[in-house]
Amino acid sequence: MEERKKDWPPYAPGTYVRESDISEKRITYTWWEPEVQYSWSLGPAMSKFLQGLKAGKILGIHCKRCKRVIVPPRMFCEYCYGPTDEWIELPDTGIIETFSISYLDPDARRIEEPILVGVVDLDGTPPHHGFMHYFGEMSKDEIKIGMKVKAVWKPENEREGSITDIKYFKPL
Amino acid sequence: MTFGEKQTDPTSPMHWRGDMQADYFYPSGVAGDKFFKHLMQKDSFLATKCNKCNKVLFPPRLYCEDCFEEIPEINWIEVPCTGTVRLFTVATLNAHNEKMQSPKVVALIDIDQTDGALLGIIKSNDITKDFLGRKVKAVLRPKEKREGTLKDILHFEEI
Repeated sequence: MEERKKDWPPYAPGTYVRESDISEKRITYTWWEPEVQYSWSLGPAMSKFLQGLKAGKILGIHCKRCKRVIVPPRMFCEYCYGPTDEWIELPDTGIIETFSISYLDPDARRIEEPILVGVVDLDGTPPHHGFMHYFGEMSKDEIKIGMKVKAVWKPENEREGSITDIKYFKPL
Repeated sequence: MTFGEKQTDPTSPMHWRGDMQADYFYPSGVAGDKFFKHLMQKDSFLATKCNKCNKVLFPPRLYCEDCFEEIPEINWIEVPCTGTVRLFTVATLNAHNEKMQSPKVVALIDIDQTDGALLGIIKSNDITKDFLGRKVKAVLRPKEKREGTLKDILHFEEI
């Protein structure tokens, strides 16, 4: 910890704490890891979507008035505010709508091999309409917008009803 | 299931469970650091005295809370770790709202020779009595086990 400088202006100058002050225990501190748990109620539409993923199917929902398929599904269409009508099983192929080459992992640590993430526009849905996922079996130089991709699923016994039941999308 | 259909299976709506890592790091600050480093070596507390309003600040502060006067270095004083109970309550539930086997007496203790107070737990054989105004003494951890946090004060006990 640095000494406070006496010739500083009359406001409180502040005291700098460096990482080494903490690791070498030069300062006293309190460290606490609270238990913060959450339970998010998924609702009927998202529940059925995730149960579909567990069974190896991507389910969308159709809005008759707007003539479009919504995925991930919703109970209400966000364009016309009407209730959605009919469940539709979608193919697990699509195109890359947009992507990002990330050199940070989910905990914001720097990594050598980049993670490829982006939005997949599934076949059978209107253009510019999709969800986010990982891309794999391609390098950061090969990936491009408009590329045809196909889902790579986890083995059936490892699926748990989560979006990660699809491991990633690979080039078709 | 679309909106018109009825939901008949009560297990079909799912919940997504998770936990968030939310670590909490609180450095003691300049005055707090001095207080805890003193507490790690000695069996007494530190306090600071304001020159302008004569208030004895506990826990010690670098600036007076009342008149914002800066406290000079020589105004740090050593005070005994004893005090008087100003208020108390008997807690029967723990932080998770579960019933505890032995209730705890949580008290606000005015530290002697200061104008400050400290929250603490009073250990006593008889927890049904009135603790108001009683003299108590802090029981500290053994010196080699102190780590420079408020947990170094294990509990208070009656003198």
